[in-house]
Amino acid sequence: MLIERQKMESLSEALADRVEKGRSPWADARVRFFRNRQAVIGLCLLIFVLAFAGFGPLIARWPIDEIDFMVMGDIVRDGAPSLANGHYFGTDDLGRDLFARTVLGTQISLAVGLIGAAIAVIVGTIYGAVSGFLGGRVDNVMMRTVDILLAIPYMFVLILLLVMFGRSVVLLFVGIGLLSWLDMSRIVRGQTLSLKGREYVEAARATGVASSTIIRRHIVPNLLGVVIVYATLLVPGMILSESFISFLGLGVQEPLTSLGALISEGAATMNYGTLWQLIFPLFFFIVTLFSFFFWATVCAMH
Amino acid sequence: MPPQVLANINAKYGLDQALWKQLLDYVWGIVSRFDFGPSFVYPDQTVNSIIAQGFPVTLTYGLLSAIVAVLIGVTLGVVAAVRHNSWIDSLAVGISVGAQVLPNFVMAPILVLVFTLWLRWLPGGGWEGLGHPAYMVMPVIALSTSYMASIARITRSSMLEVLNSNHIRTAKAKGLPMRRVVMRHALKPSLLPVISYLGPAFVGMITGSVVIDMYFSTGGIGKFFVESALNRDYAVMMGITILLGALTIAFNLFVDILYAWIDPKIRY
Amino acid sequence: MARYGQPIVSWISCSNYNQNRYCSSPNALLRKFHKQGDDPYEKKLLLSACLALVIAAPAFAANPQPDEKLADNQNLNYWLLDAIKTKDPQLNSAVEGSDVARQLFEGLYNQNYAGELVPGVATDYEVSEDQTVYTFHLRPEAKWSNGEPVTAEDFVFAWQRLADPATGSTYAWYEELMNVKNASAIVAGEVDPSELGVKAVDDHTFEVTLGSPIPYFIKMTTHTSTFPVNRAVVEEFGDQWTLPENMVGNGAYKLVEDKLGQDLTLERNENYWDNDNTVIETIHFQAINDKNAALTRYLAGELDRIELPSGQFPRLKEEYPDQTHAVPRSCTYAYLFNVSEKGPEALKDVRVRKALSYALNRDIIVDNITRGGQKPAYSWTYYATADFQPPVTDYSQWSQEERNEKAVELLKEAGYDKSNPLELTLSYNTSDDHKKIAIAAQQFWKAIGVNVTLNNTEWKVYLDNLKNYNFDIGRYAWCGDYDEASTYLDYFRSGGMNYGGFDDPDYDAVMKASLTAEDPSADYDKAEQILAEEMPLAPIYFYSTPVMVPADVKGLPVDNVLQNWYAKDIYRVAD
Repeated sequence: MLIERQKMESLSEALADRVEKGRSPWADARVRFFRNRQAVIGLCLLIFVLAFAGFGPLIARWPIDEIDFMVMGDIVRDGAPSLANGHYFGTDDLGRDLFARTVLGTQISLAVGLIGAAIAVIVGTIYGAVSGFLGGRVDNVMMRTVDILLAIPYMFVLILLLVMFGRSVVLLFVGIGLLSWLDMSRIVRGQTLSLKGREYVEAARATGVASSTIIRRHIVPNLLGVVIVYATLLVPGMILSESFISFLGLGVQEPLTSLGALISEGAATMNYGTLWQLIFPLFFFIVTLFSFFFWATVCAMH
Repeated sequence: MPPQVLANINAKYGLDQALWKQLLDYVWGIVSRFDFGPSFVYPDQTVNSIIAQGFPVTLTYGLLSAIVAVLIGVTLGVVAAVRHNSWIDSLAVGISVGAQVLPNFVMAPILVLVFTLWLRWLPGGGWEGLGHPAYMVMPVIALSTSYMASIARITRSSMLEVLNSNHIRTAKAKGLPMRRVVMRHALKPSLLPVISYLGPAFVGMITGSVVIDMYFSTGGIGKFFVESALNRDYAVMMGITILLGALTIAFNLFVDILYAWIDPKIRY
Repeated sequence: MARYGQPIVSWISCSNYNQNRYCSSPNALLRKFHKQGDDPYEKKLLLSACLALVIAAPAFAANPQPDEKLADNQNLNYWLLDAIKTKDPQLNSAVEGSDVARQLFEGLYNQNYAGELVPGVATDYEVSEDQTVYTFHLRPEAKWSNGEPVTAEDFVFAWQRLADPATGSTYAWYEELMNVKNASAIVAGEVDPSELGVKAVDDHTFEVTLGSPIPYFIKMTTHTSTFPVNRAVVEEFGDQWTLPENMVGNGAYKLVEDKLGQDLTLERNENYWDNDNTVIETIHFQAINDKNAALTRYLAGELDRIELPSGQFPRLKEEYPDQTHAVPRSCTYAYLFNVSEKGPEALKDVRVRKALSYALNRDIIVDNITRGGQKPAYSWTYYATADFQPPVTDYSQWSQEERNEKAVELLKEAGYDKSNPLELTLSYNTSDDHKKIAIAAQQFWKAIGVNVTLNNTEWKVYLDNLKNYNFDIGRYAWCGDYDEASTYLDYFRSGGMNYGGFDDPDYDAVMKASLTAEDPSADYDKAEQILAEEMPLAPIYFYSTPVMVPADVKGLPVDNVLQNWYAKDIYRVAD
């Protein structure tokens, strides 16, 4: 997923200004938030998805990997969604319960998005803050490094990593996260540069506080606003990336699954009379992405 | 495999040399002859010949997709912004969000089902070169849609911003027709974010071409990359990665130049 | 059995070709001849009988029935799952590569729709008393696509090239299997390739000397790695000789275009000796990486032969009964147990191996997962291999409940149960079909208290892991290179491919005895029983290829379990 860098930078400036005003942006945001229809929809969708991922396992009547031998003989006829046999969303091609698997897929896709974004946030924030704060030649070197890394087609690198080091969930999470901290670090650096000139930072420096302490105590907390907005925008991108990786068969491995993997399985068989195998995972995939998109748009607005 | 046969295969690809020697030979081959070496998987192909066959295809449908995405995306975005808060606006936003969340590996088979199997309008795959646009339609639709959606969203929001700026308000106040205001004054500045989006978008398209090549048998570079990675065809893998890196840099440079041309305020 | 294409000419005395396995086909005769006793007269008689048959055989070509009208469109679009890696007959090691090479080149013998031998470049052959020297008479009218005659020298060059380590062919061992004199020493790099037991007596007489007699030698000459290549072209262009602009072949078709990874175009070769009887004008080999996408495009009329995605056969058979067929294919699908030094301790216990094999519910796998006419396998050699009587192994006679009970019992004896579960990894190469079976296997084993983790890698990596004994249980399938049981049973010899590292002196002895046996059936049966007793593998199913072919395409093979097909035998009829 690609982000509108331009917009983000102007947004970060706006946020930096607000910090200076010293008002409580939270109270203000809360009021405006509930007036915004999009925001409320986004929030509702997000709660819905989280609830589905969280409470789904309690509702599911089948484990994720058990094959229902009663239906596997003729999935088209017997594997359709049914309340009677407990396959609320039907079964996949092997007769495994699609409800349980969609719940699992949603959990994993959310985890990839959130953990990936968290890694990007942590690495990007530290890198950007250090670079911006230290400035001068260090900044130059660090930022040129980022420029160089940006020229590497990152999806291809991720594919190479997964092929070379085997398919593991950890590598997938970390890989997706590590490969998208670059934009983050640029934004954070720009933000840090503007924060650096503020009086309280100058004051801290004048009283001899160590650089690391200043970064930790003053710079990073003030970066939080822009970082959170940007991170929210990253999540759907990560989920999309994961789905692409799953399409290539390099994603999480059986019996685990992700929404991307379920969708690509469902899309392959959509003309064979088992459309539910595509519809249900795709629905949750789209709802998840929608909720984050709306959320991010709304965050950015405020 | 008999050891003697293996030894000969290794010798053929220089794998019996010391690692540093292999690396040196590889780099020297690129620098002196622009030769990325032989493919490990296709005995009669070299990395250069594979790229020479696949890259023009990818570039063709990639550029077409970029053009389609920009044209439709910008139009959609402008219309939505000009008719802000109307049903057209909602429709445009709806389309763009919807298009963005539908992965192209879902869209590709749907397109084939509809246009090839049901309507019988278009061939379901293959690539016959520039003279045969029928083969390009589905790859371009599948590849451009999500970028079109992003471009529409970016254009819409930046257009809204521009339309609210002072010089546009002045122009409107002077009684210029809306059409003229948009075309003459508002469009150019509101395209700036679109242009900066194009660099990464183009790289993303090349990544997405993997799906296109796999579904539509277009024989582009994306498929060769994935295939070489999966088959450990190191030479091809390296060759394509280097090519894409170079392409990314070139495209970013192009975008920067375009940017400077549109916005004279920017100085490097 | 489903059939498609008309039986073309029934040149053996079988009126119903569905039964021809039991007729005295030339193969059977040849075989009898080799096995016959000492009476030279009888041998002579049989020899002349079979030669007469071979000579009398009309050139096997597209041969429409009188009531069939040829269509105007004689193009064939053949689906490939992946781009073929090489068109070089000696370098190729893939089934799809052979499908292409068989159109571009022609070897000594071909096969007809039923898998019987028919003359190719060779019109007939003689064999010496001691059955080690074969003399092939090549047809003088055979030409390369550049107009030069195909000579015995070309075969000599190709056969030496196959064994020569400098060629780097992964199929060099095939020449060792053929027992050509000195082949093993050449492959090992000890002897110069020119010492290979092949000789051009004159331009049209090719002589092969074997190290020791093997009964099925003639059958092995249909394999693409024995096809001739044009020396001048190979030497001039090196690796690039297979590019369309350079390639010279002797098959019924010539290569005109190669769009790597999407389309390979072949056109009729005007210089082919039997060009007059060839009907199909153009063949497109189209690479589509996804079976489902291929099916959609087939239904849209863009392809003329596809293999079906697993599980879709019954539905399509109902919908398109005259286009959908399940064709027997000589391959066996199995899980190999790693019994080598590097394998897990648990698998060294035969009880564990047996338990794992017993617990696999093969009926569910073939009836509910693959669903394309596959047959459950409880032994290794493909059931429909020529002159082979499928063995009756003990566990094939039990019900699945009995097998499961037995499995739990054996595991318990070996010291594993639900409280002390066995942990293993099941490896397979990436593919939807293998994944489905692996997931099912995981469930079957879970039921007897064995926890299995799945691990999939790409084919090339997977193969490396197998070769290095770097797996616990590995998916494997073996396809016959020729239609005789030894192509399967050789696999588990201690010197065979044998990726599981099975090493059993009894087995080796039985296989050695089979080579010289009057009738090897008894030895083959013994070998199968040893496999069932030692269980170095769990056989799962015998292949069948569910395919779709338009009703107007005639002449694709039905009964040929090797599924070797020749486009020159194919034709399209008008509606």
